[in-house]
Formats: sequence, structure tokens, C-alpha cells
Amino acid sequence: MDLATLTQTITFFALAGAVIVAALGVVLLNNVVYSAFLLGGVFLSISGLYILMNADFVSAAQILIYVGAVNVLILFAIMLVNKREAYTPVPGRWLRQGGAAVVSLGVFALLTKMILQTPWQLSSLPPTTDSITTIGQHFFSNFLLPFELASVLLLMALIGAVVLARRELVLEPEPILGEEVVPPLELPERPREPVALSEK
Amino acid sequence: MDLVTLAGQLNAGTILPETIVIVTLLVVLLADLIQGRQADRWTPYFAIVALGGAIATMIPLWTQPNTVSFFGSFISDHLSLFFRGLIALSALGTILMSIRYVEQTGSSLGEFMTILLTATVGGMFIAGAQELVFIFVALETLSIASYLLTGYTKRDSRSNEAALKYLLIGAASSAIFLYGSSLLYGLSGGHTQLPEIAQALSAESLGLVVALVFVIAGISFKISAVPFHQWTPDVYEGAPTPVVAFLSVGSKAAGFALAIRFLTLAFPSVTDQWQLIFTVLAILSMILGNVVALAQTSMKRMLAYSSIGQAGFVMIGFVVGTEAGYASMLFYLLVYLFMNLGAFTCVILFSLRTGTDQISEYAGLYQKDPLLTLGLSLCLLSLGGIPPLAGFFGKIYLFWAGWQAGAYGLVLLGLLTSVISIYYYIRVVKMMVVKEPQEMSPAVQNYPEVSWSSFGMRPLQVGLVMTVIATSLAGILANPLFNLVNTAVLDVPQVAHQPTVIEVAYQSLPPPGES
Repeated sequence: MDLATLTQTITFFALAGAVIVAALGVVLLNNVVYSAFLLGGVFLSISGLYILMNADFVSAAQILIYVGAVNVLILFAIMLVNKREAYTPVPGRWLRQGGAAVVSLGVFALLTKMILQTPWQLSSLPPTTDSITTIGQHFFSNFLLPFELASVLLLMALIGAVVLARRELVLEPEPILGEEVVPPLELPERPREPVALSEK
Repeated sequence: MDLVTLAGQLNAGTILPETIVIVTLLVVLLADLIQGRQADRWTPYFAIVALGGAIATMIPLWTQPNTVSFFGSFISDHLSLFFRGLIALSALGTILMSIRYVEQTGSSLGEFMTILLTATVGGMFIAGAQELVFIFVALETLSIASYLLTGYTKRDSRSNEAALKYLLIGAASSAIFLYGSSLLYGLSGGHTQLPEIAQALSAESLGLVVALVFVIAGISFKISAVPFHQWTPDVYEGAPTPVVAFLSVGSKAAGFALAIRFLTLAFPSVTDQWQLIFTVLAILSMILGNVVALAQTSMKRMLAYSSIGQAGFVMIGFVVGTEAGYASMLFYLLVYLFMNLGAFTCVILFSLRTGTDQISEYAGLYQKDPLLTLGLSLCLLSLGGIPPLAGFFGKIYLFWAGWQAGAYGLVLLGLLTSVISIYYYIRVVKMMVVKEPQEMSPAVQNYPEVSWSSFGMRPLQVGLVMTVIATSLAGILANPLFNLVNTAVLDVPQVAHQPTVIEVAYQSLPPPGES
């Protein structure tokens, strides 16, 4: 084993260990701020794994989007909510955690067995040296349609985010539309409320 | 290279219907932006006309089938055209019934339609996608639009709960589906197109089975087959009713389109296994959906469980894997579109006029609103499978196809659960029709004067009448529909390439109905 392979192997195990430990921390720690920061650690380690696979662009995108946007957003959300609330332990919590652990370990065992047993087909193509160009060529040739559809998806997500976040003017004094005045333009989103109806 | 030759090389004409829908959603969005709420007077009708136009452009495409476009990302064969038409039609029906509803809840109609049309585009693309990346992007377009629509009445806590549940379960199932797809990519040595994957897959391995199970888990979430149905009742209860209509028809049709294409194209070597899995799903869906529906008191919740049961019936046609099986499945989906949209139109009308959807509140409706009573009765009886209506012929065809293929257990179970379903559908009809005037519910006693002239009521009336006519006549005048379905079904790869192998493969299945 020459020096380059040795370095790669050591780096791989270091990064993989970091991913696993940080991910376990995300799930198991009780403090949500620690979990959020550890999640950033998971994303960073995964981007290191991408570099090991010669995927430099994906690695940069991973840091930019997941660490820079998603994780920061999560931290913002935690800080804005800023609610200190002690968890009241659910009575049968250990049972549930034990069940979750058994299921997770079972899936892990199954996937490990599957990965080791399956005869994987290895790609014979030489690794590309210029991944940005390759990705760009794919985007504008055989992945053109998904690429364009993603723009529609993002537009819709943008509109949806605005709809959800917008502050509604709750009570409009008069309905602008409609020939007849609809009397109950109550709280807009309550077309029918069985409970309220029975209270009347 | 200029634009025309480029479009010609890509075969871009095949996505003309989807392009029309995308342009429509942009126009609706811009009109809403410029004109404000004044635009609500014409944009819904524009969207309806455009969806009709999109369906009309599929007619010339129907005559030049099997065009693979965009380097194999998308295929525009009869099967995909059938499903794309179905999804566009369901969006059209949904817009008809949503104008008044959205206006009455005080939310913005333009944005509602924009998101709904995006969901339609996603569904239509799923119907013709045969490439992993594209399938996933289209699936996410449909899913994310559905989450947003579910939470559209954002001041209602039920809607919030439904949207959150749907988002969490949906994200988990998308992740599982993606993991399955990535396994396929790895197993085939780096192919993303389904036919190439099927060719490159070597012998049956554990990895292939795991990929199959994960992909089926993702698809079953969309069609809400039983172990993956937990979101359905809460989402159906909390989402705005037009959205529920779209989810139960359009989204479900997209799920079935994906199931047919993905499983038959990518997994021909493990046909026995996926037919077995879907047999189990069908059995569980039929039993649980129909039995739990008996106990419901809310109309929307009852329709939720009934739609789970109906998906179970459709799966009978899918698991037998014969030409008649697939044809009956498509025919039932088409009929189901009319009767379910009709039922939801009636539920919306009733809840708009009385503000409730409790089944007990329907008591004595016949005295006050005969048209609504007639429409709802016909649609529910058709869903149950009462003879002269369309649902009866759909079910007969499904059961006949299943019986011919030898799936006796499944067909007997289907018959038994249909009888159960007739009970809870007839309960509603009885509630509306048989009650004496003094037994009327408070909601019906205070029933407002029936008037169709106010804003957005005319489309509801049109939708109601059209779906009821289609439900009543589609069974009797079914010949054109049968021709449509029988042409479309020839494009299912299993039917086209290896009919004999399938019959042999089916024989080796264990007798269904036991597990």
C-alpha cells in the first residue's frame, strides 16, 4: 500500500467515524442546540467524503447549501423560538427507545448484509477531472427535463413559502367579490366547524 | 443550432400538454400579481379552458405513440397519455369545485390555483417519466405542492396538523424511495433509465430485493396502500375539501402510473416478488379501508377510508398482471375519477351551505335540496357498485379479470368487502332520503335557499351535473372508454413483450387471500 492509498484510507475512516459519532449525537442528545451544531458536523464530514470521491463540486455545494443555508436556518429557528422547556419524561419512554433501537439495528444489519453480499457493478469510466463541466453538460443534455422542472418546483416552493409566512389581514369589512354579501366572512379558514356548531 | 432544430431533436412536442399547464400557471400567477383579487373573476375559467386545451392537444399525440423524448427521460406512449389526461381532468374538476370554496374561506384563489397546477404538472410528468432523476423531481413537485395545499387554510389547527403530518411522513417515504433508486443506480453500474437498468441488472440478489421493497414503500405512500396509509384520514379531514378531491383522484392516479411503469420496466426479473407484495397490500387495503369506514361519523373521513378500500380494488387488476387486469385497472381509475369527484363536489356544496360534514347532519336533505341528494346518492351508490352505474361495471371488469387469471381468493375478498362498502354508502343515502320531515337535522332545517347565481356557484353546479351524468352513463356507454383503455394497456411492457411468461409466473404465486 503506497502512501496515497494509505492517506485515503485513514482519511476515509476518520471522516466516516466523525459522521457516525456526530449523527448519533444529533439523535441522542437532549439539548436541541447541541444537536443542531452536530448536524453541521455531519454535513461537513459528508462533504469531506465527497472530496475523497473526486466530487469537488458536490462537496462545495454540500457545504454551501446544507451547512450555509439549511443548518443556519435551523439554528435561527431554534434561537427565534427561544423556549426553555424541560421535557417531562413519558412513562414508557425506555420501551419506545428500545423499540426504535431494535428497529434501527435490524435495518442496519439488513443493509450491511445486503451491501456485503451484492455483486456490485463497478463503473469502468475513468474519474473525471473537471466535474463542473461534466455536470453542466448533463444538465443541458440528458438531464435537461428534470433540470427545467426543478425551476417550476422552486417557483412553486417560493410561492408556497410566501403563502405560509404572509400575515393575513384577518377581517375584511366587506367582501370584494361576489354579487351577494356572504355574511360569515369569519376567520377565513373556518368553513365548517362541527364543535363550534354544536356549541351554538 | 437554432431553437427549432433543437426542439425537434429533443422531441419537445411530446410535452406540449405540460407546457400549456406551466404557461397557464404563470399567467394565473402574474394576473394575480397585477390585478389582485379582481383577477379571480377570470383566472379560474382561464385555467379550466387551458386544462381542457391541454387534454385536447393529447389527441394528436395519441396518433403518434411511443415517442421517446429528451434523451429518454420522458416517453409519450398511450399509457402515459391516458394517465396524463386523467390527472389533467382531475385538476379541471378540482378547480371547478374550488372557486367558491377557496373564496369562502377567504384565502387567495390565484395562489391556490398556481400550486394546484404545479401539482398537476408534477403528476403528468410522473406518468411519462422513465428516468430515475426525473421521476424523483416530478414526484417531489407533486408531493411538495400537495403539502402546501393541505396546509392552505393556515388558521385552522386541523389543517396545520394535517400538513405537518403529511410533510413528515411524505419526506420519510421520499427518502426511502430515493434510497431504493440509488441502490438501483448502483446495482446497474451507473444507469438511470429504467429500461437500461433492467438490462444491466444481473441475477437476482439481495440488493435488488431491498431496492424493490424501498421503491414499493415510496409508491405505496402515494396510493395510500395499507401499511403506508396512516396519513390519509388526518390529511383528508384537515385539508381543504377540493384538495382532498385532487389527492384522492389525481395524486393517486399518478401513484398508479408510477407503479405500473417503474415496476414493469425496472423489475421484470422479480415479477413474482412484487406481485406478492402488492397482493398483501391489496388484501390489507380492502379489509382495513372498508371495515374502518363503517365506524366513521365525518363524511370526509369516511371518504378517506373508502378511498383506501378503492385503491385496494384497483390493485387486484395490478397484481394479476394480465392484459385484462391492467385494462380493468385503468378503466376503474377513469370511472373512479368521475364518481369520486362527483361525491366530493356534493360534500363541498353541503358544507358550504351548512358548515358541517357530519354524516348525521345529512338527515332529511331530500326535502330541501333534491339535486344535491340525487347527485350524492348516485355517486355513492356508484362507488359501492350498484348495477346500472359506472362503478358497477368497473368492479365487474376488475373481478372478472382477476377471476380469469386465477386470483380466486382476492376476488372473493373483493366481493365481500364491496358488500361491506355498500352498507356504509347506503347508510348515507338512507340518511338523506328516508328520514321523515320531523327527523331533519338542525343543519338541514336551517338550509339556505338553493341559489346558483352567486360567485363561484355556477362552476360547482356544472361540475356536479357533469360528473353525475358521467357516473350514470359511463357504464352503459362504455365502448369508447374500453377502446381507449385497451389501446393504452398495450404499452404496459409486460403485456407488450412477454404475456406468456407472466401467465406462467402467476401460477407459481401462492394462493392469495391467506396472508
